[in-house]
Parts: sequence; C-alpha cells; structure tokens
Amino acid sequence: MARREWKLGAAVALLVSLAWGPAPAWAQVEVRMWTLLSGGDGARMRALVDDFNASQREVRVVSTTLKWGEPFYTKLITSSVVGAGPDVATVHLSRLVNLAGGGVLRPISDAELAAVGLKGSDYLPRQWEKSRWQGKTWAVPLDTHPLVLYYNKTLLRPTGLLDAEGRLKPIEGVDALTDAFRIATEASHRRGLTMESSQSSFAIWRLWLSMLAQQNVAIVRNGQYSYGAAGEATLARISDWFRKGYAQAGLDYPASTSQFMGGGAAFMLNGVWEVPELVRASKAGTLGFEYGIVPLPTMYANASAWADSHAFAIPANAGRPPSPQKVNAVLRFVAYVSRHSMGWAEGGHIPAYRAVAESPEALALQPNAQYAAAAHNVVYDPDGWYMGAAGPLEAIASKFLPAALYGYMTPAQAIKRFEQEGARLIRKQPPRY
Amino acid sequence: MKPSDLALPASSRREGLPATLLLAPFVIVFLLFFLVPAGVTFWMSLTESSLTRTNAFVGLANYHTLLNDPSFWDSVLNTFYFALLTVIPLTALGLVMALLVNRFVKAQAWLQGVFFLPFVLPISVMTLIADWMLQPSSGVINHILGIHRPWLADPYWALPAVAIGTVWWTVGFNMLLFLAGLRNIPADLYEAAALDGARGLTLFRSITWPALRPVATTALILQVIASLKVFGQTYILTSGGPFNTTRVTLHYMYETAFTQSDAGYAAAIAMAFVTIVILLSVLQAGVVRWLARRDA
Repeated sequence: MARREWKLGAAVALLVSLAWGPAPAWAQVEVRMWTLLSGGDGARMRALVDDFNASQREVRVVSTTLKWGEPFYTKLITSSVVGAGPDVATVHLSRLVNLAGGGVLRPISDAELAAVGLKGSDYLPRQWEKSRWQGKTWAVPLDTHPLVLYYNKTLLRPTGLLDAEGRLKPIEGVDALTDAFRIATEASHRRGLTMESSQSSFAIWRLWLSMLAQQNVAIVRNGQYSYGAAGEATLARISDWFRKGYAQAGLDYPASTSQFMGGGAAFMLNGVWEVPELVRASKAGTLGFEYGIVPLPTMYANASAWADSHAFAIPANAGRPPSPQKVNAVLRFVAYVSRHSMGWAEGGHIPAYRAVAESPEALALQPNAQYAAAAHNVVYDPDGWYMGAAGPLEAIASKFLPAALYGYMTPAQAIKRFEQEGARLIRKQPPRY
Repeated sequence: MKPSDLALPASSRREGLPATLLLAPFVIVFLLFFLVPAGVTFWMSLTESSLTRTNAFVGLANYHTLLNDPSFWDSVLNTFYFALLTVIPLTALGLVMALLVNRFVKAQAWLQGVFFLPFVLPISVMTLIADWMLQPSSGVINHILGIHRPWLADPYWALPAVAIGTVWWTVGFNMLLFLAGLRNIPADLYEAAALDGARGLTLFRSITWPALRPVATTALILQVIASLKVFGQTYILTSGGPFNTTRVTLHYMYETAFTQSDAGYAAAIAMAFVTIVILLSVLQAGVVRWLARRDA
C-alpha cells in the first residue's frame, strides 16, 4: 500500500472512530434551537446563548436563525409534525392557540418548570396567561413588544405640542392625534407621521386592531366578523392621514424607519424594537435630533395598544418526543435567559420575567421608562387558530388594508376584500396538523 | 380462424421481454410520481385535511366553495393574464432571434450564446437580477426610460413587469426550437426559389414559415402550459402582491395548503386548475388542427 493511501486510510479511520466511538464521560446535552430573531434582537439572543454556553458545561445550545414570518412558522409546523423539529423554538405568543391547538407544541408541566426553579408567578400575569391554553402551559414568555409612538423633539419644538421640559403633551382622542399630525406636517414642512405602509405591511393591521380595541370592539365573535361599521370607519381614519399628506403611502419597513431616523417625519408609529437603533445613533451622534417615545395615545375609550410577546416553546416532534433530560436542558437555558433578560430589555422590549421587569435598573432604563406604561394596556391578536404574527388572517389583512392608504381601494372595498378572503378561515375548524 | 393465429408471431414474443424491460422505468416513474399522486390529490380534494392528516370526508363541498370563491377566480384570471403577456412575445421573439442567429453566420455561436444565456440561470438568480433591474430608483430599466416607476409595487405594472422578466429568462429555449426547425429546411428550396426571383419576405412567407409551422405549433402549446404553471417568479418577486394582483393560481394553492394548512381545499384548487388547463390544451390542439386542415 502506498504511503499516501495509508495516511488517508488512517485519517478516515480516526474520523470514523471519533464519530462513532463511545461517548466521552463529559458528554453535553446538545439543545438545538430555531429562532426567528434577526437584526439587533438576533445579536442579543446570540450573546445570551454564548453566555449561557460559557456559564456551564452540561448543556450546549446551538442556535439557528430562520427567516421571520410565514416561512418560519410553516417550517416549524411541518417539521414538528413529522418529528424533525428543533428541541426549542422562539415563537410569538399570538400564535399559541394555533401552535398548541394544532399539536405542534409539547406542554410544559409545573414540575418540569420547578426543576429549574421557575413558576408561573415569576412572570408578568398577562404574559403568563397568554402562554397558557386549555389549562396547560405551552411556552415560557420572554418579553412584550407593544406599538408605541416615537416623536422628534427637534421638529416638534416650534409647534406647541411639547411641554416646558420638551416632552410630548398628552394627546387625547383621535381628532387631537390627527391635529397633531397636521400641525407637525405644516410646521416642519416634512411628514407629520411615518409608518410602514407598503403592500403586505403588518403595521396597519396592528394599528387598526389597537384602535378597535380602544373602542371595545372585538374583531371576531362566534366565527363571524363582529366589528361592524367601526372596522371601515377606523380604517378610513387611518387612510385619511395618508390622503391628506400627513404620511406617505407605499413606504416599506426600512423606508419608513429611515424616514424618521433621517429627520423626515415628526412622529413614527412602530413597535419598540426600533429603540436600540435610536439609542445607538443617538450615542454615536449621528441621529441629528432629540427623540422621545410615548405609549400609543388614547384615541377612543381606552389606552389599548397592540403588542406581541416572544416566548420559548418545545416542539412536540411527533414520534420523536424529547427525553426528560432534554426537556430539563431546554428549561435550564430558558431559566437562564429569563434571569438575564435585562440585556434583552436593551432591545426595547419589556421583559416578562418579573424580577427583572420590576428591578430598579429596568425601571430606570432609558428610553424604555418613557413607554413602560404601555405594558398595562396591551392587547394581543384575538385568540383563534388563524390569528397571530404572520398568521393567515394577518397575512390577508396585510394585503388589503394598505390598499386603502394608496387610494387603490376605498376603505370599504379593502375591508370587504379582507372579509371575503378571510371568511373561509374563521368558519373553519381549527386544524390538527 | 385457428387459435394459433391469434398468438403473437414468434418474433414479437421474443421482443416482448426487452420491450417490457425498456418500458418499465417509464411506467414505474409515471405510476409512482404522477398517477398515484394525482389519485391521492383527487381523494384529498374530497376531504377536509390539514398538512399531514385527514379530518373528514366532505364530498364535493370544497368544489362548491371553490365556485363561489372570488379569490380563486381572481387567481385564474391573473394566471391567464400572465399567459397572455408571455406566450405571444416568447414565441414571436424566439422566432426573430432564431432568424437572426441563422442569418449572421459569422456571429452565430456568439449570438446563440448570448440569447440562450439567461435560460441557464436558476430561478433564484433570475429573480434577483430582475428585481435589481426593476428597482424604482436604482434599477437600469427606469434609468433607461428616465422614470421612477416602482414596477413590482404598482398594482397595474407588477404582473407585466414579472412577464417581461420571464420573457427575458426563457426566450432562449424557444429560439433553440426554431433554430432546429430552420436547420431542417433543405437549402436547395431556397436556391430554387431564388432562381425563380423570390427574395426577402417572399422567401419567408412561402418557404420558411410553412416549414416552421409545426415547430411554431409545438412551441406555442409548450409555452401556454409553461406560462400557466407560473409560480416561482411571482412568489419570489412580489409574493402575489400588491393586493393580490400577481397572485396566480399555483400561489393561491400554495398559500391555502401551507399558510392556512387547508390541504383539502388546496387539492380542490389543484384539480380544478388541472381541468381548466387540460380543457384549454384540447381546445388549442383542436383549433390548430382545424387551421391546418383548412389550409391544406
């Protein structure tokens, strides 16, 4: 046998023995995680995973980031029902009815939680309640991220909308808010408001849901749309801002945030996840204006604001259920992240773990403290298998509601198309996948 | 008649085994990957099913819903509109390109390469390039036209824009078909015609076109089917938007099956659409045959 071949053979033999050899005594439990977090959230989650892996040697988390939205959930659902899913996944609590009800997730028992030192009362009540369905716990909440109103102090200073300390004076009622957008537009010669408004944007749905909740109107009741005339009237109020030029239609997400970040708009309606970018630009001195953030103004009867929560859940993995050891390893990681979620709060999110959320550091964290009150009035997407982040009904809404801002459809037509296409969904039995 | 007359001649019997062996791969693949799945799809269309399980037999309920589902009919209209926008240009351009390649003998290999090049691109690359070219402010198409149209976000222009991208992508294949046809025309026909004083368009009308007609018919039928099967381009470039103006039937079927996990209804959409395509193909073939008979 030639020398080279002998070497090659030896190398192969070595590799084979490494791959199939007896497991070393210090074997770790490997936890495979799928996450939909990208951008700043993704970097923060990566840091948490690295810290956790460095903090002990028994469990090793390997995280894979997948494309956010419908592809993520389609992949999670299909992989879990054929037993090829990950050991743990980040999900939105708004999708819980769909995922738990469809048999995609594995419930987590109180005993399993207790084994890693967790219990329900460790978490904020609204978030914990949303993690439960039909008497079982299906996920461990990580945060809340509500819709808030960002404002540009530099542009608003001459308008009289700010108080002596430069904070936004309270805005009460939808007319007052519309007036604020008008005044800001006229005074700044820029846009009064910016928000994601292109076709397939989710922002309109979130705002529309918030405004209906503020009128104590439910979207769906007993398999039927139940918002009545308020649905069209509310969408008309939003599209009015665009028709009058206070806001620009057709902006996709990056275009809408850069319009605000570039000083091109006085207000921005968006989730809290843009906070880190503002903090960063502000610190780096590249922002060019002072900013403030307030909870979504009370436009109608109450201060409801749409929100969603990230949470950790364990896929059911049909035919290949996780071992008790694996579940314990997953929950050890989840407990670690909960206890270290102060770093997560710097992403703008409101932590769900009480000890962190109510800590003096969290309460003092800027700019989070300015909108912390929003946590008391959050509304999730209503319960329903078709609801939730990038869920079927939201996907349909995101196709038609923006059409009313473009002027491509009237609000009445947009609502009608939304209803027509969603009708089959809300009548249908929840699917078991 | 003696029974032995009915038996196959000895030579046929000897060829029976090789024939079976040679046919078997195709028959097995056809059964496994076409006939069985088609049967399963038809069964599924009669049920209420999610992605992996069948919940109930519902008979023709899915088809009943389908008839009254404006989203389905919109998607069918979009698909036909896309076919309308692509079939004629693809066939005509393919012919023109083939004539050009055939004419400029010296640059033949080079021209053929240039025209065929886009066809070898995978769809992900094609859509990336098309997306860049169609960008509102930085795209080369707007630059040439001197405008700022957001092609893919414009409800009226999105589908034509996807169609333009598709024509650029696939026209090379039709060119090859026509080129093969052109090369089959005997050169002495042209020589004889030239001796009779025919040139230019007359040559094309009386020799080239009649000889190419069978090729054109094939290209047209293949093209109609290919265009009706459109999914990838619109899915990646526009995800069916804006406002569903580019959502074709296969995309609606995909959404129904995977986003809404309603596999039963998706199967009904598939069956209905296949029926429409088959009817259309039969009709098209009939028209073509009738035209040929009339001219004969």
